[in-house]
Amino acid sequence: MKKLLNNISKARIVAVAVIAVAVLAAFFWVGHTAHNSTVSIGSDKKIDITPEQIRSIKAIGQWEFLSVTDEELVDTVRRGIFSDDHLVRIYYGTLRFGVDLGQAKPGWIVASGDSVTVTLPPISLLDHDFIDEARTKSFFESGRWSAADREALYRRAYSQMLSHGFTEANIKSAENNADAQFRNMLRAMGFENIVVRFAKQ
Amino acid sequence: MAVAFVLCGCTQRKEAKPKAEYRAIDTIPMLIMQVQKCSRLYTAEYNIHKIVTYDDIVRLKGSVLKRDFNVKLPLGDRKIAIPMDATLKAYIDFEGFSERNIERRGNKITVILPDPKVALTSSKVDHKNTKEYVSFTRSHFTDAEMASFEQQGRASIIASIPRLGIIETARDNAARVLIPMIKQMGYAESDITIAFRKDFTERDISVLLDNSTVER
Repeated sequence: MKKLLNNISKARIVAVAVIAVAVLAAFFWVGHTAHNSTVSIGSDKKIDITPEQIRSIKAIGQWEFLSVTDEELVDTVRRGIFSDDHLVRIYYGTLRFGVDLGQAKPGWIVASGDSVTVTLPPISLLDHDFIDEARTKSFFESGRWSAADREALYRRAYSQMLSHGFTEANIKSAENNADAQFRNMLRAMGFENIVVRFAKQ
Repeated sequence: MAVAFVLCGCTQRKEAKPKAEYRAIDTIPMLIMQVQKCSRLYTAEYNIHKIVTYDDIVRLKGSVLKRDFNVKLPLGDRKIAIPMDATLKAYIDFEGFSERNIERRGNKITVILPDPKVALTSSKVDHKNTKEYVSFTRSHFTDAEMASFEQQGRASIIASIPRLGIIETARDNAARVLIPMIKQMGYAESDITIAFRKDFTERDISVLLDNSTVER
């Protein structure tokens, strides 16, 4: 009887030891697995640009004599109760002054021997869309701004560029340069007596 | 060539949205201007349309039990589509035009033109039709982000110039503009030749882009 009890307690000790070893092994395995595991939250960012679609192709004959490159820092402020919102952008554009040869009247060049008279169309703005909006730089933004706000800023930059660049002085400067350039070109073609004038608006 | 810089500052106040509760005003209109004399004959104009799209999806990534996982989290998307238009113009630069560009033999005249160049003269973002989808757990696209996407769209348009065939169109159209001019100077059409310096390959076109086009 005593021997039997002795055998049972030995078996218990062995079972407890096996369980303890198994628990320890499981513990180390979970610890090892957790050490080698990684979990993170990230974002997939993907920019995609559609192929270029040619909307129109035009044959033109525009002669540019003066370009006015302009950059405008335009901002808008929205007054709030606790704080103000700001949006500041830098717009780039080029006003091009010249003549549109498509508007030249028949017989605008009259040549006789070594003399030539050229009557150019009046100097005008060659592009009415002169802002390169995709080149715009965002300088500062606080608060949320809508597409209408951005469109309003564009319009303001447009009118500022126009008022600063489309001046009598620039038109006169383009006329003087047109005169000089045409004289230079016609002289190269062999004419001695050259008259360059501009049609009236 | 005259280059003038004008710098001035002034203060203006203007309402952006008169009907809204808030008031938007200008505080720092500023102008930096550069005036340059030139002589460029624009002969071809291309209008290009493009849509720039951007996806920003939040994902749970990692590895457990040596197995990798990459799961898209719900309500974590941000997407934007920005339509834009650009105008490209090709021109012949007459700035250095001289007797060296003219060859005359009897009644015949040959005009050798300088290299055609291409300029991006304008671009416009279609704000009204810009579509933006943002989950409520994400922040809206900032103005700087949108400007960056637009600049990438612009760069893509410039990169596409060699494929558009605008240089060839410019050369053809230059003859159509100049031959009637020279005819009025007393030459017969059959005696007029418009020539270019050489034939261009795609490799050459990268050096023909206008500096103002590739500027950032």
